Amino acid sequence: MAERREAFKMLFSANSAKVETNKGDAYYDRLFQQCRARLDELKASQPLQAIDFHEILSDEGYDRREFMKWASAATAMLMLPPMFTPLVAEAAELMTRVPVIWLELQDCAGNSEALLRSDGPKIDEILLDIISLEFHETLMAAAGHQADAQLEDAMHAFKGKYLLFVEGAIPMGMEGQYGTIGASGETFHEHLVRVAADAAAVVAVGSCATYGGIPAAAPNPTEAVGVMDVLKGKPIINIPACPANPANMVGVILHFVLTGQVPELDSLLRPKFAFGYRIHDNCERRAHFDAGEFVEEWGDEGAKNNFCLYKMGCKGPMTFNNCSIVRYNEGVNWPIGVGRGCIGCSEPDFWDKYAYERPMSDANIKAPTGGVEKTVDQFGLGVLTATAVGIGIHAAASAVAGKKSDEGEAQ
Amino acid sequence: MKPGYEKIKRMTPAMRIIHWVNVVSILAAVITGLYIAHPYYQSFIADPAVDKYVMAWNRWIHFIGAILLDVTSVAVAYLYFFSRFEKPYKKLVPNARNVTEFKEVLINLLTLNRRKNFDSSHSDSFNVVYFTIMHLMLILMLLTGLQMYVHGLASGESSIGAWWPWMLHMTTDWTLWVFGGNMGVRYVHHLMMWWIVAWVMFHVYYQIWRTIFWQEGDIAIAFGGSKFKKSSETE
Repeated sequence: MAERREAFKMLFSANSAKVETNKGDAYYDRLFQQCRARLDELKASQPLQAIDFHEILSDEGYDRREFMKWASAATAMLMLPPMFTPLVAEAAELMTRVPVIWLELQDCAGNSEALLRSDGPKIDEILLDIISLEFHETLMAAAGHQADAQLEDAMHAFKGKYLLFVEGAIPMGMEGQYGTIGASGETFHEHLVRVAADAAAVVAVGSCATYGGIPAAAPNPTEAVGVMDVLKGKPIINIPACPANPANMVGVILHFVLTGQVPELDSLLRPKFAFGYRIHDNCERRAHFDAGEFVEEWGDEGAKNNFCLYKMGCKGPMTFNNCSIVRYNEGVNWPIGVGRGCIGCSEPDFWDKYAYERPMSDANIKAPTGGVEKTVDQFGLGVLTATAVGIGIHAAASAVAGKKSDEGEAQ
Repeated sequence: MKPGYEKIKRMTPAMRIIHWVNVVSILAAVITGLYIAHPYYQSFIADPAVDKYVMAWNRWIHFIGAILLDVTSVAVAYLYFFSRFEKPYKKLVPNARNVTEFKEVLINLLTLNRRKNFDSSHSDSFNVVYFTIMHLMLILMLLTGLQMYVHGLASGESSIGAWWPWMLHMTTDWTLWVFGGNMGVRYVHHLMMWWIVAWVMFHVYYQIWRTIFWQEGDIAIAFGGSKFKKSSETE
């Protein structure tokens, strides 16, 4: 009996369940040593802000246990084994030693909002509070020339050490005159290149900074582009989404503090720990997709029963992000959770190619030449109609002409 | 057999099996593919989601159809060059003889069989070019389809090992750049389906038209493997 059970288990358990994703002890030991050395180095340096992280935590009502729970979760998010938890906790405590310069270009400040707004800050947000934010147009008290001076100071003092966060697209049209800085009249493009020159790494936050986002949507009047399109020779980390998830910002900073390096990136320079899989792959409604249970119209029985939103234009199957796991607003909810599909906001050209609220086959696609807008099926039926008309004409002519042939005149 | 006619072998059993496997696969892939792109029927099955699997079965059938098409296409690609029956690649070479034959077959079609200056007892240039076009479209379907498939294997792992997603990325990632991201890949995959359906429409019409006008029983090729030709004309 036991043998037979074992045989059945062998027969019916998929190989995929046995895939080894562990990189091996040697790899993790080496990484652990590397992180240890890096943290010791940071510890020896002066904190940039005279604040006690744990004091702030207890002021906000978090005890040590809750902090360690957070550290475990953050370790898991970074896809590291549990032995890294104390290191992650330590990295959090050392965040005061990371200088950050935050630039806002062609944006709506949505990403700044995302990291600021919270009802009773969670540990992620507190961390974003204690990183040494040396310059941030929206948050700083200084304005005008004082603000400029603050930026120059920060760039000089932390040359080669600061993380540069960029929010917003870079308008390249009209020689960059669509966006200029204050009295100097420096264009966004010049500004970005200058400030990025001495940065340790550049983090493009939000879809605008990543691919141009909304400003770059057709017809893109300002010729907006993303950071990676104009900045060369610097490590760039993209954290797209509209807005970027603060959890992913913290993840990237944590990784930088831990290792001094950028995390593993995909072909669009997005950290794999957050963008290494599709929303669809971990969606809470995935079972309804596989079952063929779809919301047909807003508010129908399917909608009340949390059916799949694919027919309402959800772009989860084409969008790489971790929303379905970490959600937004500290795990409270996320677009699909509230019953409306994903609009693919972390993918390139999302406004034109993803956010049309219906399945791709129903969307009007602009012909490359402009003008004609047809869905792929309308166009396809046009092709079939043309074929049918051609066949019809030929068949009719054949019928009229009759079967005549001068066969055999030449071979 | 009608006196004055003789039987000519045109398709080996292997070619006929390939032909009908392709017919069934294309039909299945179109029906299920349209469902995957936009689920056009609802499953009124009063079971919980876990027991239904309507979309999952559609995808499964779609992939099986795709696999069958891929296998037959590989076989066809081999036969193009190494068939012991007729090597189609010889008709693809754009030499004077093939170009002339291509033109003559086209003229025959356009003049409603008023002119027939080619030997219809074997596969002609027009035919081979026409079938090559279909196989090129199928290759594009394969590459764009596998690109969409590998999105689900983003971990870089699969049940048959890491080599599989790696190979898919290596062979299909270029489609992302050429067609403008994974939406572009979907669009091309969907649009190409319509061109294949149009191809099928003309193909079926042309076989019927040939059967009627040439009077050589062409429609029988795909079933029995042979057609007929006036004895006086065959050398």
